[in-house]
Amino acid sequence: MSGRQMRIDEYRIEEEPYYLPTGDELAIAEAAYGDGSPLLLKGPTGCGKTRFMQYLAWRLQRPLVTVSCHDDLSTSDLVGRYLIRAGEAVWTDGPLTMAVRAGAICYLDEIVEARKDTTVVIHPLADDRRQLPIEKRGELLTAPPEFMLAVSYNPGYQSVLKDLKASTRQRFIALSFDYPSPDKEIEIVRREGHLEPELARSLVKLAGMTRGLKDSGLPEGASTRLLIQTGKLIGRGIPVKTACRAAISEALTDDRELLAALDEMVSSLF
Amino acid sequence: MDLESLKEKFYRLVAPSLPNEWDVEEALSPLADNDSTCLDEIFAQIPAIWPVSHSLCFAYLSAAGPALCCLAVDELSLWVHTLLDRYETGGLRGAQLFMADVEQQFARQLRGQGGLRLTNVRPRLQPYVNGLAGRELPLLGAAEAATDSEVIFLPSEIALFTEQEENFLLYKLMASFQWASLAAGVFAAPPLLKLHRKSAHPLDCFFSEFDRPDDARRLFHLLETGRVLAFLRQELPGLMRTAAPLLPRLPLSGDEAAALNVLDRMQRGLLRGDWPADGHSPLVDRATALLRRSAGQATDNRASLEAVRELMVLLAPDEHLAATAPLIFQGTLRLQEMRNLGMKRQADKELRMMQSATVSLPVVRRPADAGAQSGNEGGQQGHDAALITEMEQAWEQLTPFMQSQALQISIDDMPQPPADPSRDHGQTRVTGQTTSATGGTAGPAMARTPHAGRKKGQEMTEPVVYDEWDYRRKGFRKKWCVVNERELPPVQNTFIEQTLKQYRGQIRRLRHQFELLQTGERFVRRQREGNDIDFDALVESVTDNVAGLPPSDRLFIRLARDHRDIAVTFLVDMSNSTSGWVGQSIKEALVLICEAMEVLNDRYAIYGFSGMRRLRCEIFPVKRLDERYSRTVRQRISAIGPREYTRMAPAIRHMTSLFAQVEARIRLLIVLSDGKPEDYDDYKGEYAIEDTRHALLEAKAKGIHPFCITIDRQAHEYMAHMYGEVNYIFIDKIKQLPARMSEIYRTLTS
Repeated sequence: MSGRQMRIDEYRIEEEPYYLPTGDELAIAEAAYGDGSPLLLKGPTGCGKTRFMQYLAWRLQRPLVTVSCHDDLSTSDLVGRYLIRAGEAVWTDGPLTMAVRAGAICYLDEIVEARKDTTVVIHPLADDRRQLPIEKRGELLTAPPEFMLAVSYNPGYQSVLKDLKASTRQRFIALSFDYPSPDKEIEIVRREGHLEPELARSLVKLAGMTRGLKDSGLPEGASTRLLIQTGKLIGRGIPVKTACRAAISEALTDDRELLAALDEMVSSLF
Repeated sequence: MDLESLKEKFYRLVAPSLPNEWDVEEALSPLADNDSTCLDEIFAQIPAIWPVSHSLCFAYLSAAGPALCCLAVDELSLWVHTLLDRYETGGLRGAQLFMADVEQQFARQLRGQGGLRLTNVRPRLQPYVNGLAGRELPLLGAAEAATDSEVIFLPSEIALFTEQEENFLLYKLMASFQWASLAAGVFAAPPLLKLHRKSAHPLDCFFSEFDRPDDARRLFHLLETGRVLAFLRQELPGLMRTAAPLLPRLPLSGDEAAALNVLDRMQRGLLRGDWPADGHSPLVDRATALLRRSAGQATDNRASLEAVRELMVLLAPDEHLAATAPLIFQGTLRLQEMRNLGMKRQADKELRMMQSATVSLPVVRRPADAGAQSGNEGGQQGHDAALITEMEQAWEQLTPFMQSQALQISIDDMPQPPADPSRDHGQTRVTGQTTSATGGTAGPAMARTPHAGRKKGQEMTEPVVYDEWDYRRKGFRKKWCVVNERELPPVQNTFIEQTLKQYRGQIRRLRHQFELLQTGERFVRRQREGNDIDFDALVESVTDNVAGLPPSDRLFIRLARDHRDIAVTFLVDMSNSTSGWVGQSIKEALVLICEAMEVLNDRYAIYGFSGMRRLRCEIFPVKRLDERYSRTVRQRISAIGPREYTRMAPAIRHMTSLFAQVEARIRLLIVLSDGKPEDYDDYKGEYAIEDTRHALLEAKAKGIHPFCITIDRQAHEYMAHMYGEVNYIFIDKIKQLPARMSEIYRTLTS
């Protein structure tokens, strides 16, 4: 038991992560936590979904177990499996089971990337039963009130093949995230990227321009995360235009014409 | 060379066409004086131009002689290449303009002396402007920079500086300035203004309050220019910094210091920082002060409007501002166009509201005259229907080309200005583009809207337009082929049953073979990692350990998901030549492959293709990718029959575009054909083969694997060129096709 306790303690967030609320998402999330309802976060990449979860976990003082989903993720990867140790079969909890036992927050990032038969395992956990059946051990875990399930996905770039099943989707309280308003985004970029307000303002303006290029072949513009990374590069002494090229233009597209247009934007702004 | 032999040579080149002799003579007579190398080169271009447009070809012949004064003989083919591009974007008129001035339009660019053209900077500048505006704001060519709030107009060419980089910077400054005019609210309506005319822009109403509205307008625009530049310095500091050295070098009007009017002086101040000294004249002093103030802080155009009121009083009656040209990036104010657009938008919005309102309104009819009215209505309806039928018949009788023209006219009426590159050439709308000697051979094809009353098979979706590759000019004929998807009416006959009976044994064998292909999910034993413990391996490992042997660590069972994830399209040639045994065997082969495919999870589609001429390429969906192999599908297979010609490339391009929406690891396009690509018009021989080859290359570039099964005995001559050595198979005995096809599929996908 102490081993398990130690493992889950690694997931605790000790220091307050920086998060600037953009609306009433915190109030809703806390109410959902109080009610034992699971959370669904949706929004474009790099807009602060994961950071929000970290902040929420810190506020609620719960460990945060994050699983990045991929299409080879199996049910055993989530729930757990037997391992052979010294000639003996030993059961090892998967991250989901670990979170349920410890009353932690389990955050399944990019849930749509996982196969649909895998995501079904969270169904009994995501409704009022709040149970996790572990078939291999013949065990039925009931989640303590402190446990919370949260999933996220990006509705922007997924293909039609990768959509949430209605039966999965309709168990969650959904929070929609988007890039923060310019003022807030400037504040975030300034703080996280350690930048002058003026430079942060220009970076946010640049991001705004790239986000308007949907029809020109750029499905998603520069995210807040990219801006912060750019800011950090600049902080380490990289010239502004080079940093923008490396952290924004090249990260967004391979298309030569779009790259040239992005370069024009950068050279206009800085 | 004398005229007779020129004519003979010409007729040989354009055969089988027989153009009017006097047209030919007229076009060829100026050429007779040229030497034979020039003539050879001039004539060598004819095969590339003639099929595009006969008129263009004649125009070319008249212009080629003079063109060779400015061009070297070997530059002629490049000139023709550009000419054809110009024809496709600007029509015959654009091509004529291009040919009229060889030096300015072509030779200078060729020698690197020309300016920078909008068409060359657009790919880079358009996304830039879209990004600035946060919406689509098309860049179109015009004489001067301007904006009408939906479009930014820029000059078609800038040749102000010798360095192209500086010309580009000017383009960028112009585009940014026009965007900034919109963003900074230059065109906002003045507050508390009485609108005299509803159809005029509020600013125009404001200017008309003065004796000399045009001068008021010029003053206003200049004052606002100062403000917009300040706005740009704030919003796009990088641009303004790099453009700063450029500004003093921009052209200004008026050169004698004494004769400079107030606008000239202000322009000098704005661009060169050369502000007039105090005490010059009350007007200039005041204007300088106002301009500097409005540039400094104003957030809207109100200060400029006030300033105009103030300055117009000071403007001497004999001082005219008309001689001062606006700054090059400033351009013109297109207030009336803006107003028209605004009113159109408003009208559209109202219309939409009305329409939605009428839909929701219940129909109330007075009971007394209901009968009479309904009778009337019936009559009216009948009349309308007759009219529609007549119109449709008339439509049918038009050549396809005329139909495309008719549609073009209706497009002109659309509220939003279409992003039409032909405006680049100073033309307002497409009209000259469609002039041509023969209907069916020139001008870009326009997709017609489908209409009822077709004889065979309904058009199922909107027609799609595709480019066609012309190897002679090494370029695309843009928007050349119209592809329609037509329904294949299911046919009920005994064909399917007979085939199933005849090939009973073979089908059973095929199904068994295909089942072996099917892998799906399976357990893999003795893995290092896995979902479950492999107890056999564990027991072995423990016993090994006890026996003192090194135990294995491969103790797990893993569920391996090997999805085949294959999507395949069978594209069946339905040309006239497939009648008889050929068609029969193809159909049997399709039935067999469908029966076999049913045991696999591979997604598959079947499409037939045929058609006649470029404006009627037809695709017959037999089974779509997501459709089940149902009775209807079987009946559609029965309905496959010989139709018209084999214009293969548009069909391949259509399949490529359908495939683009499909996510699969392997995407396979299997073409079943009985011969070379060929169409009724001049689509045959090398041209057709090269176009098909190009379509296949496009497909490959999109990650589609094309493969061809052919029964043409001469296939080896061209197939390897079209598909590549290993991507086709020739089937000698047509009766073998049903058996071989499934075999081929199996080898291709395993």
